[in-house]
Amino acid sequence: MKAVGARLPRYDAHEHVSAGTRYVDDVRIPGTLWAKALRSPHDHAEIVSIDTSAAEAMEGVHAVVTYKDVHKNVHGHIEGLGVPGDEPLFAETHVRYKGQPVAAVAADNEALAIRATEAIQVTYKELPSLLDVRKAFDGDAPQVHHWGNWYPHFEGEMDRRQIRKGDIDQAFEQADVIVQGVYRPAAIEHIPMETQVCQVVPEAGGRFVVYSATQAMYFSMGVVAAHLNWPLNKLKFVGGTTGGGFGGKVDSATETITTLLAIKSHRPVRWRWTRMEEFLCSSTRAPWHMEIADAVTKDGWILGRKMLTLHDAGAFARFSPYGVTKHAFHHTGAYTIPNLEFNGYVVYTNRVPTTAMRGFGVTSVSFATETHIERIAQTIGMDPVELRMKNATRLGDTSPNGIPYVDPSTVPVIQAISDAAGVELSAHSRTMTSAMRSGEDLPEHLVAQMGNPEDH
Amino acid sequence: MSLNITVNGASRTVNAEPLTPLLHVLREELDVLSPKAGCQNGGCGTCTVLVDGEPRRSCLLPIAAVEGAEIRTVEGLAPPGQLSPLQEAWIHHYAAQCGFCTGGFLMAATAYLENGGSDDHTEIAKALGGHVCRCTGYVKILDAVSAAARGDSFDLTTTAAGLHTTLKGVDQ
Repeated sequence: MKAVGARLPRYDAHEHVSAGTRYVDDVRIPGTLWAKALRSPHDHAEIVSIDTSAAEAMEGVHAVVTYKDVHKNVHGHIEGLGVPGDEPLFAETHVRYKGQPVAAVAADNEALAIRATEAIQVTYKELPSLLDVRKAFDGDAPQVHHWGNWYPHFEGEMDRRQIRKGDIDQAFEQADVIVQGVYRPAAIEHIPMETQVCQVVPEAGGRFVVYSATQAMYFSMGVVAAHLNWPLNKLKFVGGTTGGGFGGKVDSATETITTLLAIKSHRPVRWRWTRMEEFLCSSTRAPWHMEIADAVTKDGWILGRKMLTLHDAGAFARFSPYGVTKHAFHHTGAYTIPNLEFNGYVVYTNRVPTTAMRGFGVTSVSFATETHIERIAQTIGMDPVELRMKNATRLGDTSPNGIPYVDPSTVPVIQAISDAAGVELSAHSRTMTSAMRSGEDLPEHLVAQMGNPEDH
Repeated sequence: MSLNITVNGASRTVNAEPLTPLLHVLREELDVLSPKAGCQNGGCGTCTVLVDGEPRRSCLLPIAAVEGAEIRTVEGLAPPGQLSPLQEAWIHHYAAQCGFCTGGFLMAATAYLENGGSDDHTEIAKALGGHVCRCTGYVKILDAVSAAARGDSFDLTTTAAGLHTTLKGVDQ
């Protein structure tokens, strides 16, 4: 524990300031080819035909790959967590977002690789696109995914992540006021200073070395091996040096395609996305649509919450079902609400697929919850800090999914923030602790939800 | 075309099309890797080098425009095994996280200090204004440049106390 509380220097700072850090794009292997992708120009279209022959015939072009070159084109990255795969590595019958990879090439230099992608002939039949989650459930909405317009495989066969707790109807009957709000945080591109990048080098003996900027190295290794149907020992991953990720480099966006090009060309291959590609078709934080209705008493107890969440997954599921699950378990924020009716949908659109970003699934719901608390305070005319303290999670309270809290920190955190911000707390809030509820802190409506922290 | 440039004190002959960006020549022809290809549109600052002492975006500079020029990069900031006071300040003030933007910042800050820049945060922020850091280390970067401008000495076995950082002179 010598490091705790010590002001240690950053372990890689010396290399960072002296040009000693070698990022993926800094790996230099003689004879390395440049990769480029041919990407969908449409939000949504059927692929009628793909003709790569002109690109393959170009001098200096060493490999062209499409879905035909992939052993397992559709592989779900979190199949191990029960989320089946829905996204092809290369588009085969349809393109479902602008920028989706259709083919990739490896050529002697970057300019030639660009010309080679332009020589690939793809015929599309454009289809209507869906870009707004609020229209996904309409009867006449374009059908954008072979599973329908929302993900149908929660717990195997449910079309939503749902939570039912307590007696929601009774809570709304007992309420003095219903406070409603709609919250719609937008998509965010991670914008790492280093764009998506990968280099793959064939080794003697049939092994391939993958220099990867991934944030999840063994995970990415498994993804490549699954697409290729290779044992892991044919891949050597070199990672750990990433020029910014923030969640945007967990999708293994480059490793498999670059490896396919290296296999087919028998040459080292480097694929570095342009900033334009990073903005156009690297995954983003999801846009969310959240509707909340709270049953509230005029003295500031939140008796119940009904919530509908539409999570914009973009064209494919990727990690979105996992994000919505986290979102569901956090949908009361740092507060105890005993009666709940939550429905969260992973909605497909023709936007770029969305992914993890700093607090995946939770940041969005925290924004909604905290803003909604302010709205409740304004509606009933109560101090928003006192409202937070009143409903703060306490020892033995249970989370939306019924887990007793064993170390809730809402009370001391709000006290510390109030001190730092110069906010005066009431005497009751000033002396409150996280201890189990009793007396005036334990009204009738909170008794049934209590759990035993020993059961955690 | 064939032309000569000086890179970190060494004369180099380059064969390239006249409009080839200096960034491409440095990274792909000369293996000078500290300038990074962040956006290649002049928008992020990761490719910044000094051209005859002035910070310039090497991604937007055609090689023909720098014929005969003196180019400086991070590789030339200090003799091998040594660090400039600014580099030491960067370590001590924890001004790098992922490090990808660091080289561009260092070159712009070096030019600022060589031109007599002070420790005033507003002036430093102006000099570094076109540089993007997505790990959000701007305050520590200001602290580092400020400390180097004052001529502070640095204990590289420890990190400066960041919690007590003040934004001297910066409009908040």
